[in-house]
Amino acid sequence: MHFKKKLSRSNLLRGGVAALALAAATSMATIARADTVTLVETGSSLLYPLFNIWVPAFTTAHPGIQLTTTSTGSGAGIAESIKGLVQIGASDAYLSDGMVAKNPNMLSIPLAISAQSINYNLPGLDGHHLKLSGPVLAGIYSGSITKWNDPKIQAMNPGVALPDHVIIPIHRVDGSGDTFIFSQYLDKSTPSWHNSVGYGTSISWPAVQGGLGANGNPGMVSAASQNPYSIAYIGVSFKSEIAKAGLGTAELKNASGDFVMLTHKTVSAAAAARVGKTPKDERISLVFAKGAEAYPIINYEYAIINTSQPDAGTAKAVRTFLTWALTTGNEYKYVSQVNFLPLPPAVVSLSKAQIARVQ
Amino acid sequence: MVFRPFRTSLLVLALLIPAALGAVVLFLAIYAGDAFTFNGLRFIFGTVWDLGNLYGNPVTVRGVSVPLGAHYGVLVFIIGTLLSSFIAILIALPLSVGCAIFLAEQVPEKFRPVLAMLVELVAVVPSVVFGLWGVAVLVPFIAKDIGPALSATLGFLPFFAGGDTGSGYGLLAASMVLALMITPIIATTLLDALLQVPRENREAAFALGATHFEVVSKAMMPMVRTTLVGGVVLALGRALGETMAVLMVSGGAINILPHNIYSPVSTIASFIVSQLDSAEQDPTNMAIKSLAEIALVLFVITLAVNAGARLFTTGVANVRNAK
Repeated sequence: MHFKKKLSRSNLLRGGVAALALAAATSMATIARADTVTLVETGSSLLYPLFNIWVPAFTTAHPGIQLTTTSTGSGAGIAESIKGLVQIGASDAYLSDGMVAKNPNMLSIPLAISAQSINYNLPGLDGHHLKLSGPVLAGIYSGSITKWNDPKIQAMNPGVALPDHVIIPIHRVDGSGDTFIFSQYLDKSTPSWHNSVGYGTSISWPAVQGGLGANGNPGMVSAASQNPYSIAYIGVSFKSEIAKAGLGTAELKNASGDFVMLTHKTVSAAAAARVGKTPKDERISLVFAKGAEAYPIINYEYAIINTSQPDAGTAKAVRTFLTWALTTGNEYKYVSQVNFLPLPPAVVSLSKAQIARVQ
Repeated sequence: MVFRPFRTSLLVLALLIPAALGAVVLFLAIYAGDAFTFNGLRFIFGTVWDLGNLYGNPVTVRGVSVPLGAHYGVLVFIIGTLLSSFIAILIALPLSVGCAIFLAEQVPEKFRPVLAMLVELVAVVPSVVFGLWGVAVLVPFIAKDIGPALSATLGFLPFFAGGDTGSGYGLLAASMVLALMITPIIATTLLDALLQVPRENREAAFALGATHFEVVSKAMMPMVRTTLVGGVVLALGRALGETMAVLMVSGGAINILPHNIYSPVSTIASFIVSQLDSAEQDPTNMAIKSLAEIALVLFVITLAVNAGARLFTTGVANVRNAK
């Protein structure tokens, strides 16, 4: 018996070695094409679907540049780009002042405009959109509002039969740009949240009995769909998954006090309100913009780029790709596939000025 | 003194592994240095984990630069780690002992290798696969059936009580996934030991008129007790350090201690993974240093559990020998 076991193990081992050899040979063949420049992108899982749409179109137009994309997380995108492990780091959040002071070479370059929806799993609502505000969401996520029929929620939704059931708030456990913009919405709309929790890609979630953590946007969708009476914040590029899971989407109260639904029109209105204020280094929050039509949770999706690339060829390839992404890649037919919006022309020219610094 | 090349090279090779381990611990400890100063004992007994305001200006506290509002307390994760591993062992132990005895005693010799290999196969399934299975199958099953059933039958016990058995994500899900992962480890170690029990012992017991149950429980199990504890220690090592599968089903608790078996928890290993991305954005590096400090805590826990189990076995052996 023991002999047989050994035999089967060595077979397994041999199979593994053969597979490794094959993999090595394939990667050698890739390296052997010396005339191509290989760029690697990693980071935000929200930007990942867009990069997947961009890559085939871009590489057809520029056969000399090869682009590999991976989905990790905004934090990883920032960290690996700073370390020089990748040429393009994708992030939903811009670099903080502290990070810029520490790494003056790092640029935050917007590539598109994204948004976030607040979704809930409320049986018996029949497609009615609940109205919610920043302070109410802050109350839910800090445990002061625990039931769906809380007077504060009911007051915003007169005539809606809200269930007498405990709310299950779901948050991201991984470092996430979605947590960043969601907590920014709460931070800017609710003084008590601003003074206690603040905002960031990972925040110190207040202890809420029954609250849940989920991993990544896909984890948020599945946790919300499996848990009736839950609420979650989910990136807009997961719109079709949200619809498939049958989750409701809330109308949110904006800075002007109006309740708005997440649509192209309201996202454009919010962007229009903040575009003029975008500084040269383009590090700005678009959250909670003023305007009756403005949707409160939108953001620039950033490429985190080092100005000093290892060699001129790589630098040129990075510039070529980013310029393509801001022009051809920003066409509506690409970005609308993931429910993003193209950048306004004023921001495109700011981004182009930053791209020119990559050498 | 004569230079013995063979002996020396063996010695060097043998020392490399403990040296590597020592180096990892040493470098982690040096790297976490500032974190020790800043955190002090609040690190172990604190239940609040807060990276602070990473987008504001850092402040200087106790001589080190940290983000404003930063506070690192890991009691929640220590308790999550110990509880989930402990419950996993409680579930896995009867399963694996039964499995090993069945394979050693009841299965015809012809089929044993096939069945034993199937059990071993469970041990090589990547943990992320278990995690996915946990999310897709186990978590809804716990939410709809296991949780309410446990609460109805064992609700009189404090840790099982709770009118609301939650979402399925939590301590019970993490423990069950871990139990599934470690059962084959204990079962295969025990099976190998059971097969080594001398035929004479078994047959002598049968000749004395013992029932099959008595043969197994009185003549065979005492001979493999040390191996069984060894298997449990191995399994605990895996359970304490398991990352991905736990991250996917544990419900990712932060700042809150579990109040029953259905509560969300976080383990040290899964928490390190979930926080690493954001910690790397801390310009003062204090978040990463504190993560290094938790890694040291996990190391100490694993070491203590292992040492404890070894002491326990030798203790048991000594007591038995003294009789």
